[in-house]
Amino acid sequence: MGDLNIAVVCSSNQNRSMEAHAFLSKKGFQVKSFGTGAQVKLPGPSPDKPNVYDFGTTYDQMHQDLTQKDLSLYTQNGILHMLDRNRRIKPRPERFQSTKERFDIVVTCEERVYDQVVEDLETRDSSADAPVHVINIDIQDNHEEATIGAFLICDLCHMLQDSDDLENDMDDILQAFEEKCNRPILHTVSFY
Amino acid sequence: LEDEAGPVEAVSTSDKVVDLLNQASLMPKDVQKINTLKQVQELIVQKDPALLDNFLDEMLAFQQDKSADVRKFVVGFIEEACKQDPELLTKVVANLNMLLEDENVNVVKKVILSTTQIYRVGLSWLSKVRTISEEMESTWDMIVTMKNRILVMLDSENDGVRTHVVKFLEMMIVVLSARTPDSDIPKKTENDISLDQVPKGHPVIRYNELRDEGTKILDMLLDFTASAHISSMNLMASMGSLTAIAKQRPLYMARVVQAFESLHVNLPPTLAKSQVSSVRKNLKLQLSTLLKHPSSAEFHSQITTLLLDLGATQQELQRIIPKPSKAEKRER
Repeated sequence: MGDLNIAVVCSSNQNRSMEAHAFLSKKGFQVKSFGTGAQVKLPGPSPDKPNVYDFGTTYDQMHQDLTQKDLSLYTQNGILHMLDRNRRIKPRPERFQSTKERFDIVVTCEERVYDQVVEDLETRDSSADAPVHVINIDIQDNHEEATIGAFLICDLCHMLQDSDDLENDMDDILQAFEEKCNRPILHTVSFY
Repeated sequence: LEDEAGPVEAVSTSDKVVDLLNQASLMPKDVQKINTLKQVQELIVQKDPALLDNFLDEMLAFQQDKSADVRKFVVGFIEEACKQDPELLTKVVANLNMLLEDENVNVVKKVILSTTQIYRVGLSWLSKVRTISEEMESTWDMIVTMKNRILVMLDSENDGVRTHVVKFLEMMIVVLSARTPDSDIPKKTENDISLDQVPKGHPVIRYNELRDEGTKILDMLLDFTASAHISSMNLMASMGSLTAIAKQRPLYMARVVQAFESLHVNLPPTLAKSQVSSVRKNLKLQLSTLLKHPSSAEFHSQITTLLLDLGATQQELQRIIPKPSKAEKRER
């Protein structure tokens, strides 16, 4: 089978999906990343004061904004470093619900995101052209977990890409992967 | 001047197509080849369909290509060409039928999905003509043969093939039943044929047979969904299809709700733990979708009971259930 078109999706298209995006493209996968939230949220000075941007804002603009707001805080908590990594990959976060692109595999990083992706695919105007598999792996939204998550997603993508007949092997691959990573996996199939 | 502009442009498009086809046949890489053939498709299907007939054989020749992706592309091309000009069906259905036997399962799956479109195109085309030539009749026979072969594939050993057949059944059930005022029709299929547009007393297309076949295929899909050893992927594809059918054909709402009810209490024992979670989650989504449809009103108590069982909260349900419109409130 040819190269799989892969999407990795988290809430804000900043940490988990971008970590996986960076890692998978280094490994040669054809990958894009997205968020499903209504807006892009980054940690702020306190948990109840996040920095909120809309999806049109570039990583660079966010970087400038936060540098101005509190250089030492956002350097110390790694946000500026993350934004710097992100702006080297692509200009701005993208919302999954707005993309017309088609994927073979969509990997989501938490159950709520999986629900949003599946619901979006089911409510799109389908003409039954091609199947799309949605797979969820729970990854906590912090830097360490995002790194581990990217490794796991990469492992999974290798297993999927190596299959000669992905759809026939899907159930077996996912069960093997689930045992290996010891996290519950959600999976469904939808049609574009 | 205008008279001259027409042919000159036609010649240049035609030359361009010849050039692209020559390039494609020499390209070693599949991706390049497919991209080049896509350009040809764009030129002869969208830009200048008058050229379609001229270059049909050249395009079909690529179905012998050793790359499965190129052969898949040819299947898609056949579909697009027939949508543009249904009369081409007489020339291409045999090719499509051959590709249904392809050694590569991904090509076969693509043929299954394309046949959902080809069947519609064929039915709609023949419904409109009263004088049927022998060629037309044998074309329709071939489409029917393909349809029958695909139905048998519901028993395929291959999980992915079965998933695609489920999608095929969905389309057949929708086409072979009548649209009603409460049908919720996706925009993309708005102009597609359905049973209510099929003429009665047609020499080849037999209304009653088609109608009966539609209900027979619904039974097939319901039996498949309820089978004890269904795979989780097949099950979720079937559930999605049943919801799509109920929305487009509310006359089947009762049967679909009933199928979901019995599924809920009787999930296949072969599912692994996380598959059960995925299936239950999917069931919740499907039931919420049905709940939003106006024609599910008489099944609301059954559907909400199921949803509560599946972990939905009262607030969630309140959000989903459509509010009566102002006009309806005033009537009360």
